[in-house]
Amino acid sequence: MSDFDDIQAIFFEECAEGLAVAEQGLTAMVAGDTSPDIVAGVFRAVHSIKGGSGAFGHSALLAFSHCFENLLDEVRAGRIAASRHVAQTMLSAFDVLADHVAAAQGQAPAPDDRAMLSALEEVLRTKGEVGDAAAAPAPADAQAAAADVVDDGQADEADEFGFVPVGVSLESFDLEPLEEMPQDAAPSAPAWRIRFAPSREAMANGAEPLLVVRELERLGAMLTMAETHNVPPLRELDPEGAYIAWHLTAPAELDEASLEECFDFVPPDSEVDIGRDAETDGVAVHAKAEDVVPVIEALPSAQIHPLPVAESPRASTAAVPVTTLPTAAGDGQSQTIRIDVAKLDMLLNLVGELVIRNSILSDRLAPVDQQRVELPQLGRLTREIQDTVMSLRAQPIRQAFSRVPRMLRDLCAETGKQVALDIVGEMVEVDKSVIEKIGDPLTHMIRNAVDHGIEHADERVAAGKSAEGMLRVSAEQKGARIFIQVRDDGRGIDRERVYAKAVERGLIAPDAQLTGEEIDNLICAPGFSTAETISNISGRGVGMDVVRSNVEALGGRIEIVSEWGVGTSFTMVLPLTLAILDGMIIRLAGQRYVLPLSSVVESVQPEPGQVRRVSPTNEVIELRGNYVPVKRLSDMFGVDPASCTRPEDSLVIIVEHDGTGLVGLMVDTIEDRREVVIKSLDQHLYPIRGLGGATILGDGSIALILDVDALVASPTGNGSKFALKGMAA
Amino acid sequence: MSTENASENKIVTFTLAKQLFGIDMSSLIEIREWDEPTPLPGVPSYIKGVTNLRGNVVPVVGLAERLGWEPSVLHARSCILVVSIDGKQAGFLVDEVNDIVAISSDAIQPAPEVENGEQNMLVGLVQIDARGVEGGEKKQTMVSLLDLNALSLTRHLDLAA
Repeated sequence: MSDFDDIQAIFFEECAEGLAVAEQGLTAMVAGDTSPDIVAGVFRAVHSIKGGSGAFGHSALLAFSHCFENLLDEVRAGRIAASRHVAQTMLSAFDVLADHVAAAQGQAPAPDDRAMLSALEEVLRTKGEVGDAAAAPAPADAQAAAADVVDDGQADEADEFGFVPVGVSLESFDLEPLEEMPQDAAPSAPAWRIRFAPSREAMANGAEPLLVVRELERLGAMLTMAETHNVPPLRELDPEGAYIAWHLTAPAELDEASLEECFDFVPPDSEVDIGRDAETDGVAVHAKAEDVVPVIEALPSAQIHPLPVAESPRASTAAVPVTTLPTAAGDGQSQTIRIDVAKLDMLLNLVGELVIRNSILSDRLAPVDQQRVELPQLGRLTREIQDTVMSLRAQPIRQAFSRVPRMLRDLCAETGKQVALDIVGEMVEVDKSVIEKIGDPLTHMIRNAVDHGIEHADERVAAGKSAEGMLRVSAEQKGARIFIQVRDDGRGIDRERVYAKAVERGLIAPDAQLTGEEIDNLICAPGFSTAETISNISGRGVGMDVVRSNVEALGGRIEIVSEWGVGTSFTMVLPLTLAILDGMIIRLAGQRYVLPLSSVVESVQPEPGQVRRVSPTNEVIELRGNYVPVKRLSDMFGVDPASCTRPEDSLVIIVEHDGTGLVGLMVDTIEDRREVVIKSLDQHLYPIRGLGGATILGDGSIALILDVDALVASPTGNGSKFALKGMAA
Repeated sequence: MSTENASENKIVTFTLAKQLFGIDMSSLIEIREWDEPTPLPGVPSYIKGVTNLRGNVVPVVGLAERLGWEPSVLHARSCILVVSIDGKQAGFLVDEVNDIVAISSDAIQPAPEVENGEQNMLVGLVQIDARGVEGGEKKQTMVSLLDLNALSLTRHLDLAA
């Protein structure tokens, strides 16, 4: 059946949704919010993943999610208290579950889940180390247990479909046709009535009874009822068994043969009753009322989440498969597709070429002719395409930061330390490739901070700090670079120990004279690790040197700032290759340059006498009583001053620079302000001092992007060939 | 006449300072007409600047200067050979592009040793039929095959640094 892959794709999309819901819920549980809604939400998410995995034959995923679900079920029923420990275990189980889903999709090898499984079973066995279930109020317990039985029924019914995304908003589901349906499922015309009860083994051969129902629906049939009384409690349920019988009505004008055709591939021992309205009416009537679920009635009020327990739970729960199935099919077309970044690059370059051709065309055609061939419209369109393509590659760094919170939680759980997290600048946009590549370094930096930096609570208190450590992860764009910093308020780098260790490891000579900074940077030396004991977090000596090599591979560097007892910060300084820069386009001697707007303070049209020479080579500009050094861009770039605007007609742009404060740059004029795509020069050449890269302007010409820091800083400390000198601005 | 053991290479021949040079065809990306590149600060004089090649910022090199000849004088037939060297692209300003010819690797003779410590930028020398012969009389002419890797801009800078 060709639909199978499509349906499986939908299943995986729903898995992704389910995983997101589960992670959110589990995170909340770890944070202490164990309200029934949340627990039930996680349960349903895991449950639907399990259901689908059974339907699609992902046995490893099925087995693991089953075990996970068992624990969740106990927690949901209140038999295991949702303590932090239990929640933490489940959060870890979630990771394994996510790995399993990835494995089922063929994206990754199947994870080794034995340890996790036994951890889950341990919690199940020890009841989460609480053991005082009796302490829970009995009535609530009983009610929860009762609800549990009901839910099992509901949930396992969902199992058979394998498509129960939790919390699917019904708003997205087009209810109109349903409202047109007769509420009592008794149309006046002698419509077809169909009862379909697949045999228990219906799914054994890879068949999917649901497809039959879908096929009927395509013919115009309406699902009116579902018999769910055969669905066993969860623990007795065979995930590959079929338990539900469906009732459908089909339009009278259909002929019997076409209806019967739908059942061609149904196992022979399934029950199929097709009859005109009056003939089979009895089926529904004779079925026990509470077991036959009036699907349609449930629809308008269907509130999937939270589970209503008190009033007619089955009615609403039975609505789940019916309402979500069309939704799944309708919204199944995913909202995102994966694209090879190389293709994106090619597209970007080709669009750039298109823009250039366009402007060449407009140069060569007289305005009248341009209008005649609608060239301006073409130009606008082309530029719009360019903008869109450009935006495709830039992504908020949030993507890389999103996994930090749970990673930190895991680390805290493993180390027993308490660490609060502060994330800043997650909307900073960087190139996709950068986001992909900073994941590992970021992980190492955070591990390092928690493992080596932040102290245990008692140690912190003894040092006069708050018991809870603070980890700040931030991203900031400064000019043509992005600064990604991990800062902790821990003990700082113990330079004596680092020094001793480096000597011991033979990384430095025993009598080496190193500055504090240089010692700090030894942390990034290959094979260096000061962990007293090898932990599974860090301490294998592969941490920070990997960070450094990764960052250097990206054309960046690592800066380490540490103060003993106060804290440490690790900063990745990365180029924004292909990133978008908000720039000021300036002109000098006919060439255009881009000045990162972030470093521009103001621009001044100097009055006569405002710029004064203080030495043959040095000038200053008087700015509201302050004297700011002025540098001529023409000098810095070796441009013939004769081809520039006369100094008295020039503009001075005041820029801010980390090291030296304000500096004025003398340029001919300001042309524009716009976002530009940064193209690194070292892609085809090599980095040039004073330039942060180049960009291609709309007319195809190249404008060089100025690296203000490097331009303005004194041209000494440039040859920092030794990567240890990471501190240079 | 194709031989199995001696592989046949196609080369692009071009003129620099009235001399005939050749590069391996497989390195050539395209040939463009000369377009004034954007000058770069603080680079050797043979790097004329950068130009936009299909969205890539690619350096333009005065190949004659790079090889130690007099700088090319721009004229109507000046053009840029865009080549790929180890994944990096560069545009070479040449005086004229002549031909594409097939040569047998057997026919390549080693280039003479260079003495003054300069890096040898030639793969070798090869004889090809001269173009535009009259009276059916075929003339042979010499082509100096360039070693693009030796010309690699980044490599040169590594050495200079």
